[in-house]
Amino acid sequence: MATVEERVKAITANVLKMNADEINLEDSFTADLGAESVQSIELVAMFEEEFGIEMDEDAALSVQTVGDAVEFIAAVCREQGVDIEE
Amino acid sequence: MRLILVDSLFEARSNFFPLAFGRPLWELRVGTSSLAGKLISRIQPDDTAYFVPDYMADVYRAQVNKPVNAPSALVGDDLMLVNPVVKAGDFKVPAKGASEIGLDERGMIIYARISRNDVKRLASDDIETFITSAKAKLPNVTCKLPTWNYTWDLILANGELIISEFAAMGRNGFEGSLEDPVAVRGSRKDVYVAPGVKVHPMVTIDAEHGPVYIDERAEIHPFSRIEGPCYIGKDSILLGAKCREGNSIGPCCRIGGEVEESIIHGYSNKYHDGFIGHSYVGEWVNLGALTTNSDLKNDYSNVSVMLDGQRAIDTGSTKVGSLIGDHTKTSIGTLLNTGSYLGAMAIIMATGKPLPKYISSFAWFIEGIVTKGFGKGRLYETAKTAMSRRKCEWTPAMEAMWDAVFDMTAPERNKAIKKGRMTLVK
Repeated sequence: MATVEERVKAITANVLKMNADEINLEDSFTADLGAESVQSIELVAMFEEEFGIEMDEDAALSVQTVGDAVEFIAAVCREQGVDIEE
Repeated sequence: MRLILVDSLFEARSNFFPLAFGRPLWELRVGTSSLAGKLISRIQPDDTAYFVPDYMADVYRAQVNKPVNAPSALVGDDLMLVNPVVKAGDFKVPAKGASEIGLDERGMIIYARISRNDVKRLASDDIETFITSAKAKLPNVTCKLPTWNYTWDLILANGELIISEFAAMGRNGFEGSLEDPVAVRGSRKDVYVAPGVKVHPMVTIDAEHGPVYIDERAEIHPFSRIEGPCYIGKDSILLGAKCREGNSIGPCCRIGGEVEESIIHGYSNKYHDGFIGHSYVGEWVNLGALTTNSDLKNDYSNVSVMLDGQRAIDTGSTKVGSLIGDHTKTSIGTLLNTGSYLGAMAIIMATGKPLPKYISSFAWFIEGIVTKGFGKGRLYETAKTAMSRRKCEWTPAMEAMWDAVFDMTAPERNKAIKKGRMTLVK
């Protein structure tokens, strides 16, 4: 199974139409990767689908960087009893 | 005699969604006033008490400053309980008389006239027990009174009601200020311009086919054309609007573009160009520039509307536009199909195509699909901001009420979100 980081990068690359290799953990979704507000919503939706989790919209959308997203999603997975490769 | 308005007497309040999510049925508007206003004016009670769905009781109590869901209102006086969907103009039940329960052919209570002596025999712990007890212990009579059954009934009757209510009010003349040149077509007796109204130059008021009532402090900007029958509410502003026949516009609205045969509740904005026809728009709605709805199908067949996102209801009319719930916002260029339903607290971002005919409450419609968007917290923040701009307060009670609506509408919304996700994943 791919790690949370790999899966987050893959989804991000898919939504933002870029290569996963170009994405770093410290990248900000908006400032560095150029995500617009609509794409942020799409990212949250796709993360939920990918991991089979439910995230609080306000908390999820306040996440700034890819690394924060990895941590946030991993925490939600643990909370909701979803198996992940960390 | 005390008038008791009981929302639950109408068994299908969802027929009036999305407008009835945030208000009791009698606060729906038609003609020049609300259904409650008409019933009170017809029945002339000494006082009035209200029984509303529990989740909206705190908000409504603050709004009316009268007894709401108070069992104490069921004792100590002769009572007239009335089903709020009864057409007030046809309600001719005398206030005085023996106690009786008027039922229609389906067994729905239309009214209950109960003397103060009989009240003592009835259980009055809560309204439902009281009604059950009254129905069991008092004579039941059959009555046939016309009722409002769907929101589009109100839309379709609006023009006629403005005409009859204008005649009944017996008011006409120009008490506000008119700056020349203002053209008045038809009889000046069919126009009333209330005190504080400002009619700018280059405005046409056309009362040839129906009366025009412009209520206090409304402001009509240049190049507006108002065709009667029409009611413009207090403190509303028309911004060069083509206000076609049959409109009722609530207080504090900002209206531009073309509007026809529509009812708009208070504090809603349709500032810019775009057409809205045969529609019912709730409170605190903002329709972005060029938002336009269809109200007539290309094949002239009856318009159908989905009130639950699943079952289409034939309205029986070839002309029905959109039903738009409170606090909903549309983006520029939004196109609404004939007979569209936009729930309350929804955010609509146009796609260039007509929207799906049903969009649930609290939906964030983005890129052609329903999403969770930024969630209800952000919607509440927006509502708070919009209200503060009009010196109104967003209260914890309102938040609790809309939380209840959020929960109530979750199944249909989640279904739409899931459908949208499938599109995204593909």
